Amino acid sequence: MAWQQNILRVNLSKGSCDFEPLNMDWANAYLGSRGLGSKYLYEEMDPAVDALSTENKIIFATGPLTGTMASTSGRYTVVTKGALTGAIACSNSGGKFGGELKNAGYDMLIIEGKSDKPVYLHIEDDKVEICDAGDIWGKTVWETEDILAAKYGDPLMRFAGIGQAGETRCRYACVVNDKHRAAGRSGVGAVMGSKNLKTIAVRGTVGTPAASKEVYHKINEINARMNDREGMARDGTLAMMDVTNGFGSLPTRNNRSVRFEGANKLNPEAMHTPNPDGHTNIVTNGACFGCTIGCGRICKIDPNHWSVKDRPEYQGASGGLEYETAYALGAACGVDDIDAATFAGFICNEYGMDPISLGGSIAAAMELFDIGAIDESTTGGIKLEFGNAEALCQISELAGKGEGFGADIAMGSKRLCEKYGHPDLSMTVKGQEFAAYDGRSMQGMGLAYATSNRGACHLRADPYEHDFDTTEIAGKAQVVAESQRLVAFMDSSGLCLFPAGCGWGTEDYCELVDLVCEGDWNTEARMVETGERIWNLEKLFNLKAGLGKKDDTLPKRILEEPADVGTGKGLVCRLDEMLPEYYAINGWDAEGVPTRDTLNRLGID
Amino acid sequence: MDISVTLFGGLRHYLPAGSSFNKCKIDVDEGSSLAALLQKIPVPPDKPYMVILNDEKVASDQFDEINIQADDEVVLLPPIKGG
Ligand code: SF4
Repeated sequence: MAWQQNILRVNLSKGSCDFEPLNMDWANAYLGSRGLGSKYLYEEMDPAVDALSTENKIIFATGPLTGTMASTSGRYTVVTKGALTGAIACSNSGGKFGGELKNAGYDMLIIEGKSDKPVYLHIEDDKVEICDAGDIWGKTVWETEDILAAKYGDPLMRFAGIGQAGETRCRYACVVNDKHRAAGRSGVGAVMGSKNLKTIAVRGTVGTPAASKEVYHKINEINARMNDREGMARDGTLAMMDVTNGFGSLPTRNNRSVRFEGANKLNPEAMHTPNPDGHTNIVTNGACFGCTIGCGRICKIDPNHWSVKDRPEYQGASGGLEYETAYALGAACGVDDIDAATFAGFICNEYGMDPISLGGSIAAAMELFDIGAIDESTTGGIKLEFGNAEALCQISELAGKGEGFGADIAMGSKRLCEKYGHPDLSMTVKGQEFAAYDGRSMQGMGLAYATSNRGACHLRADPYEHDFDTTEIAGKAQVVAESQRLVAFMDSSGLCLFPAGCGWGTEDYCELVDLVCEGDWNTEARMVETGERIWNLEKLFNLKAGLGKKDDTLPKRILEEPADVGTGKGLVCRLDEMLPEYYAINGWDAEGVPTRDTLNRLGID
Repeated sequence: MDISVTLFGGLRHYLPAGSSFNKCKIDVDEGSSLAALLQKIPVPPDKPYMVILNDEKVASDQFDEINIQADDEVVLLPPIKGG
């Protein structure tokens, strides 16, 4: 069994650090990571509390496969009530932190209470201390990591923490680990900041138990089945840009269009092709702990580019544009300058912000600027026009620091657009900005956004194949509901979702979970039921938090303004036709509330 | 006549030798169908893709019906999941 059967519970109000056994009954029902973390949060906390209050808890949860030799086993999830959404937040990250936490002997880290002064957590196996963070508060993620790495002198120590954005409660502040991997969405970093917790430094030498030599060999055999990784290693997720742009589902200029004329300056070809200076954006690919795919983009900004010309600290290689970042900091803002978008991405990693929500918020502000709802007197002199790459970079830094008009951008587009009198211009669901797919040409994605428990998200369902096949809505509710369960299961395993596009099927996830957990996990029925149980529990959390059917919706633009070009030209999202069917498939009533029969079937009290 | 064809994502792997980053020219007779053009592109039959012709997606049951014109632009997109 690959569980450590050990939880570290830290109460920042009391200054206590305690160990307790993992609840194995819950692990049997909710697997791990996203599912199990959500179960703990649901049981221990009133979902109605304010996300930034002392009562909110923040959980760092690994899965049973985290830290094992299974490919992509570096994943962990940050579970809390989201500062951006007020809904359950479960933000998944890779890098090397998750594996290190597991290897230090912990399945889960539960943080509760609030410190009265800035602190960080230092974990070396069973030695745990809450340390004064006075000298690192106010520092960036990168500076913090460098200072503590030098202090402890251990190159294998891993960090997950916040930058200034989390300290200043930017609503979409994220938790960054390993300098450029992030539990990105829903404002989990703002929750960490509200607890005065700067970072978690962890070093583990305990290791993650494997059942036997046979299990070890079997896992390696399954790893070898992932035989279609080449495209992902070479182009990363950025390969999607050409697909959505060609199809006509790349949200552009705050979803005014679904095709971006500058996409060919942000796509894999642009990333791999030397510019007139001879500079190539991509340096190499990068991989998380134990990953045999390596989809990460490690990139450099042209040192002659205006964004970094006199700033050598930004001229090195770091986490570059993935598809979502290139969309949010590129197409969404009408910016086609790959160096500028890369710079804004670096700023997100450095200050600890979700690039999707930052880009979405800037795009909304650009539309407010365009229609005259705000002007240069509001923005502090910044010409926040669509396509203005310099404005994008300037405002990104201000948002990271919470300064000037950046403090408004840091509210997220929902609060921003409400403040300036145009709530309809916020491209959000449950307050969270859209990912890089338009819900008109991809009707299934529209439904997936509207029903995602953590607000608009492209990684809570898998409607891609169906959506690229047809814009007809028949069958979409089924595809979305079924895939939400599968994704919930996969997210809870401790593995990444991307192997599923690189040669693995869901059955490989089941087999791997079965190898490292007790009981029979190698059945489709258990996978589906576990995923459905997790999905329903998240839904119940949201209902208790005050969210309901009124929140399972989309912005007016997606429901009423037809897509301008491409495969979905002339279409709006037919959410009202899909939603009742979706509720029925889930065994929910007409208001989207799970029925007692459904909860009984899933064993939820 | 030479038709411009762009292969995205993993399909790039199947570009004929001498192609640019992701583009090639495929020579077909005037009046050829889209199906005839696609047959000349060396993507193995087990690799699915969708076809965009002049910015619009074409359903597979239309491949035989459509005649290719000299200035047409054909794009092949692989099935891909989100990220
Ligand atoms: S596929 Fe990419 S995101 Fe997933 S574990 Fe590997 S490098 Fe990390």
